[in-house]
Amino acid sequence: MSSSIAIDPPLSVNFLAGQRVPPVLRPVDRSGQMMKSPHIVPVTSRREFLQRAGCGFGALAFSYLLGMDTRVARAANAKIDPLNPLASRLPHHAPKAKSVIWVFMEGGPSHLDLFDPKPALNAMAGKPMPESFGKVITAMGTASNTLMPSKRTFKQHGQSGIWISDWYPHIAEHADDLAILRSCWADGLNHVGSVCQMNTGDILAGRPSLGAWAAYGLGSANENLPTFVIMTDANEVLGGPKNWSSGFLPAAYQGTQFRSDGTPVFHLSPPESVGDKQQRSKLDFLAMLNKQYAADKLEDSELAARLNSYELAYRMQSAAPEAVDLAKESDVTKKLYGMDEEATRKFGANCLLARRLVERGVRFVQCYSGSGSAWDAHADIEANHSKMCKSSDKPIAGLLADLKARGLLDSTLVVWGGEFGRTPFNEKGNGRDHNPWGFTIWMAGGGVKPGSVTGATDEIGLRAVENRAHVHDIHATILHLLGFDHTNLTYLHNGRDERATINGGEVITKMLA
Amino acid sequence: MVKSNRSSTVHLALAAFSFITAASAAESAEREFTAQERSHWAFQKVTRPQVPIISDKNVRSPIDAFILAELKARNLELAPAADKNTLLRRASLDLIGLPPSPDELQAFLEDDCGHPFERAVDRLLNSPHYGERWARHWLDLARYAESEGFKADETRPNAWRYRDYVIKSFNNNKPYDRFLKEQLAGDELWPDDTDAIVATAFNRHYPDESNARNLMQRRQEILNDITDTVGSVFTGVTYGCARCHDHKYDPILQSDYYRLQAFFANTAADDNIILASDDFVKQHQEQLAFWEKQTRAIREQMIEIEEPKRAAIIKDYVEKYPEEIQAALAKPESQRTAFECQMVAKANLYLSPSSHQYIASTKAVVASLKPEVKKQWEELNAELRGFDHLHPGLLPVATGITDLSAASPSTYLLSRGLYDAPKDEVKPGFLAILNPSPATVSQPPKRDSTGRRAALASVLTDPRNPLTARVMVNRIWHYHFGRGIVGTPSDFGLKGDRPTHPALLDWLASEFIQNGWSMKHIHRLIMTSDTYRQASAYNEKAGRIDPENRLLWRFPRQRLEGEAIRDSMLAVSGRLNAKMGGPSVFPKLPTGMTTRGGWDLNQDEAERDRRSIYVFVRRNTRYPMFETFDMPDTHESCARRNITTSPIQALTMLNSDLTLGWAQSFAGRVLALAGTDRHAQIEAAYRLAYARVPNPAEEKSIRSFLDKHRAIVAERAATGAKLALPAELTDKMDSTDGAALVDFCHMLMNANEFVYRN
Repeated sequence: MSSSIAIDPPLSVNFLAGQRVPPVLRPVDRSGQMMKSPHIVPVTSRREFLQRAGCGFGALAFSYLLGMDTRVARAANAKIDPLNPLASRLPHHAPKAKSVIWVFMEGGPSHLDLFDPKPALNAMAGKPMPESFGKVITAMGTASNTLMPSKRTFKQHGQSGIWISDWYPHIAEHADDLAILRSCWADGLNHVGSVCQMNTGDILAGRPSLGAWAAYGLGSANENLPTFVIMTDANEVLGGPKNWSSGFLPAAYQGTQFRSDGTPVFHLSPPESVGDKQQRSKLDFLAMLNKQYAADKLEDSELAARLNSYELAYRMQSAAPEAVDLAKESDVTKKLYGMDEEATRKFGANCLLARRLVERGVRFVQCYSGSGSAWDAHADIEANHSKMCKSSDKPIAGLLADLKARGLLDSTLVVWGGEFGRTPFNEKGNGRDHNPWGFTIWMAGGGVKPGSVTGATDEIGLRAVENRAHVHDIHATILHLLGFDHTNLTYLHNGRDERATINGGEVITKMLA
Repeated sequence: MVKSNRSSTVHLALAAFSFITAASAAESAEREFTAQERSHWAFQKVTRPQVPIISDKNVRSPIDAFILAELKARNLELAPAADKNTLLRRASLDLIGLPPSPDELQAFLEDDCGHPFERAVDRLLNSPHYGERWARHWLDLARYAESEGFKADETRPNAWRYRDYVIKSFNNNKPYDRFLKEQLAGDELWPDDTDAIVATAFNRHYPDESNARNLMQRRQEILNDITDTVGSVFTGVTYGCARCHDHKYDPILQSDYYRLQAFFANTAADDNIILASDDFVKQHQEQLAFWEKQTRAIREQMIEIEEPKRAAIIKDYVEKYPEEIQAALAKPESQRTAFECQMVAKANLYLSPSSHQYIASTKAVVASLKPEVKKQWEELNAELRGFDHLHPGLLPVATGITDLSAASPSTYLLSRGLYDAPKDEVKPGFLAILNPSPATVSQPPKRDSTGRRAALASVLTDPRNPLTARVMVNRIWHYHFGRGIVGTPSDFGLKGDRPTHPALLDWLASEFIQNGWSMKHIHRLIMTSDTYRQASAYNEKAGRIDPENRLLWRFPRQRLEGEAIRDSMLAVSGRLNAKMGGPSVFPKLPTGMTTRGGWDLNQDEAERDRRSIYVFVRRNTRYPMFETFDMPDTHESCARRNITTSPIQALTMLNSDLTLGWAQSFAGRVLALAGTDRHAQIEAAYRLAYARVPNPAEEKSIRSFLDKHRAIVAERAATGAKLALPAELTDKMDSTDGAALVDFCHMLMNANEFVYRN
C-alpha cells in the first residue's frame, strides 16, 4: 500500500462557511509530506474529542479497508464506541504485535560488557581515547580518562551466532529469538532526560509516553484493566510519572503504575467500612441519580460516559486483583521466572505479571529493572552489573520462554534496553560514565527478525556509526509493529500535528522479520 | 514597601514602537508575505463594530445582539432563561468555583430588587474566592509549579508568592495591561513595587535540571520555554513551530522566534528578591551582626570542620562542567563576556551559598562528615542553637527573573533550533508581519537592565496591538462558556479555529481597552447577557443545524475541573478552610504513594482542607485527584484543559477514604440542619449539593433507596463490621440510618449533577 487517507477538511471546520460537509478522503503519500494538510481541529471537550476520534479513526480504518481485509475494517469501524475513549480501534496496517512488554534497565546497562564486544577497546586499555574519536561532554566530565577493557567473556550463541557476554547466560539461550540493535543513540546526558526521551521522545518532560500513544491509537482490548501499565522493582523511576504521562493527550491514555504491595491501583477497593453489597447498592443508586439527571439530556454522551465509567470501575475492582494474583501460577512457572530465588524474585514476579496482563489484553507494559537508576555503574561496574544482570537475566529469559510456550511471543513485542549505554573510558578507575552516543537495545517476538544484529558502533563502542538508530527510530519501529505509520498517528496540539516521533523517526527495516 | 515609580513608566512607554499595518510591514520583511497571510483576521486592527440591530426582540445586551444575529440568520433563537436555582449555581461555580450556600440561594430567590442576578454577579465578583478561582485558570497558562521537575524535582520554596500575586491581581481587578507588564518586566518598570517584582516569576516557572552539565544547552532550553510561553499566552501565536524553521502554516518566520527570544537574552533567575523595606533590612542586618558577634567563636570552629568537605564538594561539582564553563567560573567578574555571565549565573544557582539549591549547604556537608567529626560538629551546633533567640530569622524572599546587566549577549537564529548552530544575529523585535523593524529599547533609569522586556511589554499593551486584547477577552469567554469565540485560545493563527463571532470578539476587545483593560467589566458584560443566562436544554432543531452549539443556542453544560470538584465537596461538607494565601499545603496522598522531592503532609488537619489552589504543585507528582481529572502537566502552558472520563476518576471519587470522609461530614451537616426528619434531611442535602430541592418523584426514589440500603447496612452491622457514620452523630439517630445517610450524601457528590455546571 503506497498511500493512506487523510480527512480534508475535518468534519467541523467548515461549519461557519455553511452546512456541515462530509469529509473528503484524500490520498497522501507516505514520504512524510502528508502532515502538512489535515490539521485536525483540537478538541475542546471530551464530547468533541470522541466525535473527532471517531471520525479520525474511522478514516484510518478506512485506509485499512482499501488495502487490507475489508470485513475486519468494517467490523472495527462499526465498533467505535462514542462513549468510550478507550474503545478498541484498528491501526493503519495489519499489526505484527498486539502488545508490548518493555523491560527497562534503568540507569544505563553497559553495551560494551553485554552485547557489543570490542576487542579494540581491550587492546587500547589504559590509554587515553585517541583524538580521532572527537570530543564529548559527559555527565561526570570523564572524557579524558583512560579506556577501560571489558572483563567479560563473550561467546557466540545459537544458530545465529550472536555475541552475548557471560553476564546474561539465560538470555543467551534465546539468542536466536533476539533482534539486536547495536547502533542506538539519544540526545540526553543525564538519567532523567534520557529516561524521559526513551519513553516520550524528548529529553524535556511534557510529551506523551509511547505507551500513551499506543493506547490512543489502539484503545483498550480489555476495558476492565488499564491499557498501559508500569511496574517497578525498587525505587521510584527517575522523573516519576512524567515517564508514563499522557502529556497533551487526554488523561485516559496515561499509564497506570501497578503497585507491588496492597492493591495494584489506588482506591481499587472500597474503604473498610463499606461492604460489597453496600457498594453495589450505592452504585445502583448513583446510576439512578444519573439516569434521572440525564432524562432530559439524552443527547449528552458525556453524561452517559461518566455513568458508564462507574460500572467500569466496579468491574476493575475484581478484574485487576485477579490479573495480579500469582497464586494461580504453578511453581514450575514461578521458577522459570526466578521467583524461587531472592535475587530474581521481585523482577521475576513483575515479568510474570507482565505476561498475565498481556494475556488479558493490556497493550503496553513496562517493567523497570533497577528502578531509580540502579544500573548506573559510575564505579565498580563489575559489582554493579554482576548484581543487576543476575537479577534480570533469568526473569527475562523466563518471560521469553513462557511467551513462546504459550504462543504469545509472535503477538507480543519484547523490548530490552536502558536509557543509554556506558562509556569506553573509565570513571573512578573501575566504572563507566553515561554514553548516549552509542548503545544497544534488543527486541524479540512481535514481528522482528529473530537472531539478527543491526548496526554497529565504532571500534571502541563510543558512537553508533552504522545504521545509526535514534530513539525516534526505535519508537517508529515499535509503532510500525503495532500497526501504525508513525507519521500519521497524530494529535493536534498548540498548532502542530504532534506525533510520537516529533520531527524524526524512520522505521528500522533491517530489524523487521 | 515602597511606592511605585511612575516616571520610569512614562519614559519606557515612549520606547514603544508604533504599529504599522500588516501590508506595509510586509514590504521590508525577509520574505514576501502572501495576500492571504497579510489579510489574516487576527493581524487586522481591532475596530469597534456596529452592534447588530435585532428588530423583533427585546435584546438585553450588545452581546445578545451579536449572538442573535447569527442565530436568527439560521432561524434559531436563544434558549429560554435557566431557572434561578440553576443560574445561581452556574454563576457561583463559574466565578468562585464553589456552589452557592443555602443562605446565598435563599437570599437570591427572595431578592426583589428587580435585578437580583446582576446583584449576585457583583457579589461573586467581589468575593475573595473569585481570585482563587480565576487565578487557577491563569496558573494553567503560566505552567505554574513549585518544583524544578527533572530528576530531583526540588522544591521552589517561594514560588507560591506568584500564585498569591495572581489571586490578588484578579481580586483587585488589576487592569490587564498592567498585569501583563508586571509579569514581563515588573522589575524594569516598577523596581520599587513588590508585587511587580513578584510578578516576574511568570518567566521563572520553567522546568529546570539542577544536574545539567551543558549549561549552554540548558540556557537555550530555558529561553525556548520562555519564548514559547510568552508567545502563546500573550499573543496567541504558536511561536514554538518557528524554532527550527519558518512556521509551516502561519506567517511566522524562524527569525521571529529568535527576535522574540532576544527580549529575554539577558535574563536569569533571581531567587533572592528580598521583600522588606530598607529600614527593616537594616534592622535585620544589625541584629544578624549582633548574633554573628556573639556566636563567632562557635561558628569558627564549625566552619573549620565544614570547610574541607565543602571545598571538596564544590571542586568535584565544578570539575564536571565542560571546560568553557570552568574557564568562565575561574575568570574575574570584570573579564567575563555577557554570555559567560549567563553561564556563571546559572552555575551560581548551585554554587552560591545564598541559593536554596546550594550543593554544599551545611546539611549536605554535615551529611558527609565522618561519625566522630560529625559528633563534634553536632555538639557545637547544639551550643549555637542556644543563641537562636538572638537570630533575626530569615528575611521574606521572593523568586523572579532579572536581567544580569544592561549588556545583553547576542541572540542568533539557530539552525534547526540547535544551541550550538548559530546563524545570523537577530535583534529584539515583534512579528515581522506586523513590524519588521527591531524594537526600540531603552535602558531603564533605575536598573542595570537591558530594558528589553519593558519594550516588549509596551509593544504588547499598545492598544493598537491586534492580538493582546482579542486574546485575553477570548480567554475570559472560553472559561465562561467552555469554548472561546476562537476555539483555540492560544492559536490565533491560520490553522487555529476561526472566530465563530468575529464582530463580537472585536467588540469585546474594544470594550476591554476602552474600559481600562478591566477583566471584571468583561465578566459582568458576559454574565448579565441573556446568552449566558439561557438554559442548557437541548433543542432538536438547533441540534441538527448546529450540533456543536457553536452559535450558542443553549448554555453549554461543562464538567468541573478536579480542583473545583474537590473544593465543592469540601464546601458542601462544611470542611472548607477558607484561609487565603501563604505557603502551599500538603493534603494526604493515597497510602503507599511516594514522591521524590517530598510531600510534607500538614499535621494541622484543617490545613489539608484548604482550597485546591493552595495544594502544592509538584511537577513530577501532581496531586492524584487533580491529575486524574485532567489538571495540565505544568511543563508547558495550557490554554484549554482536556476533559476525559475514566474509571480511575470513578475509583478516586468512590473508594478513597478522603471522599468518604467528606461524605461523613456532609451527612453530619445535614443532620445539624435537618435533624432526624427524613424529608428535611433529603431537602437539606439537595440544597447543599445541588442548590435546589428534589421533586416528589425524586424524593420517592431516594426514600426507597434509603429503606433498601438501610437493610443492607443493618445486615452488615450485625456481623460487627465497622460503619462509616456521620460526623458528630448524636444519639438521636440510629447508626444504620446514619450510615445510610452517609452513603446517600456520598453518592450525591459522585453524581453527574454535582460535577457539572449546568
